[in-house]
Amino acid sequence: MHMIYSSELIKGTLKTIVLKLLADNKRMYGYEITQRVKELTMDKIQITEGALYPTLHALEEDGLVTIETEYIGKRMRKYYSLSPTGKTKTQEKVSEFADFINTMKFLLDIKTLPA
Amino acid sequence: MYCLSEQQIDYILNDISARGVKLESLQLNLLDHVCCIIEQNLEADGDFEAFYERTIKTFYKSELREIEVEAINLLTYKNYYVMKKIMIISGSISTLLLCLGIVFKFEHMAGASFFLVTGISFFSLIFLPLVFTLKAKENQNVKDKLVIGLGTLAGILFSMGILFKVMHWPLANVMAVVALVIMLILFLPIYFFSGIRNAERKINTIVSSVLIIAVCGLFLALVRSPAGTRIQQLTEYSQFVRNQQILKTEQILLAHETKGETYNQEAAVLANKINALCEELKERILMGETGQKSIDNEYENQNTLLSDDWAWKYLEDGTDGNAKLEELKATIIKYNKVATDMNNNLQSLPIKLTVLEMRDKRIPNALNDFIQIQMLVTQNGRQLASLK
Repeated sequence: MHMIYSSELIKGTLKTIVLKLLADNKRMYGYEITQRVKELTMDKIQITEGALYPTLHALEEDGLVTIETEYIGKRMRKYYSLSPTGKTKTQEKVSEFADFINTMKFLLDIKTLPA
Repeated sequence: MYCLSEQQIDYILNDISARGVKLESLQLNLLDHVCCIIEQNLEADGDFEAFYERTIKTFYKSELREIEVEAINLLTYKNYYVMKKIMIISGSISTLLLCLGIVFKFEHMAGASFFLVTGISFFSLIFLPLVFTLKAKENQNVKDKLVIGLGTLAGILFSMGILFKVMHWPLANVMAVVALVIMLILFLPIYFFSGIRNAERKINTIVSSVLIIAVCGLFLALVRSPAGTRIQQLTEYSQFVRNQQILKTEQILLAHETKGETYNQEAAVLANKINALCEELKERILMGETGQKSIDNEYENQNTLLSDDWAWKYLEDGTDGNAKLEELKATIIKYNKVATDMNNNLQSLPIKLTVLEMRDKRIPNALNDFIQIQMLVTQNGRQLASLK
């Protein structure tokens, strides 16, 4: 079954997704993040620009990510990587979400995951 | 793969900015993102402008600026929740401290003032400003913000005024009066007339206005009226004048009885010193209060009354007044020792609970303390004279 998840579903998990990607890939820029998520989920999760950048902004403000800038020709590219607090936060977020999944499974009475 | 020229990059950046994205870091992010998509997906000989227009449209629902709005919202609401949390915590802590302070105060236990000071400070300097900030954020209207600001300011001044009053610190009355003026003359009219016009808020506005007037009225009902203050001051001044007369008469009678001779030289020297110091200290207070060194039966007409201000105004630590007070205390201790050694019937002069030890004495009380010390010295003098 091929489906693209609704933006409401993605919204609450976007921070976790971004943090986890940064934990696995030293440093990434915005476009790269959207492409990697597409790749990993086989296009099932498509992060919109409108959701990604506000989230990156908030992560920066919270001190969870640090930024390095590099010039690509005339334009500037911002590379995001996890700060030490970001690393701990990622673990928290991931285990919180794992727990959430279990609770939802129970709550929605999901016996077997769709293949 | 398409290769973007510098002009095209400038074109995109200008377009992003023209679409209302003003945050520089967001502009740069979006620019890089669009450029990546174009470079990856447009053929080398493709139509740049048409492709760009199509791409940028996929970034938003109705306009590009919504990304910036969302970014700002995320930041504001995060602070909003943190502030709300601090508000609730500071509110709970301040009420808890205040309750503890009041219990301690009534039980006369140590630490009461600590709890009162921290409790009221938490309430007026952390809780109330946070309430203001959060309410101001919720209301976009400038008039609403002004009303909330004025109300908060009045609340802060009112509670700090009461704290200062309880702690006997200066400027307490000024703060309370300013708070009442702000509340009744500025806040209430704006609040009432803007709320009454709104059908939804009409009842709420009337009820709140009645409550505000009632609270201010109840507070003012507790305050002594100017006429009441005058009667109080007249009473206190006339009592002081009478006490002074009685003391003078007693001293003259004693002088007649002893005719200058003394039963005990040491006691007499100390008694004289005590009298002189008491006179000096009374003079100092009188001078400060009325501008005159001694009392006058015309006090009522001359409007030179004693206030019920704090006596320490004139006897503060480090001043000449305080030095004299300490000297008087030392002399009294010596006198009491001599007096008890000599005759058990002699009265000891009081130190405990008098102005000698208690710094928070009102002026009339302090003056009476000095007079009573002098009276006791005089009575002891007569006792000694009778022994002769």
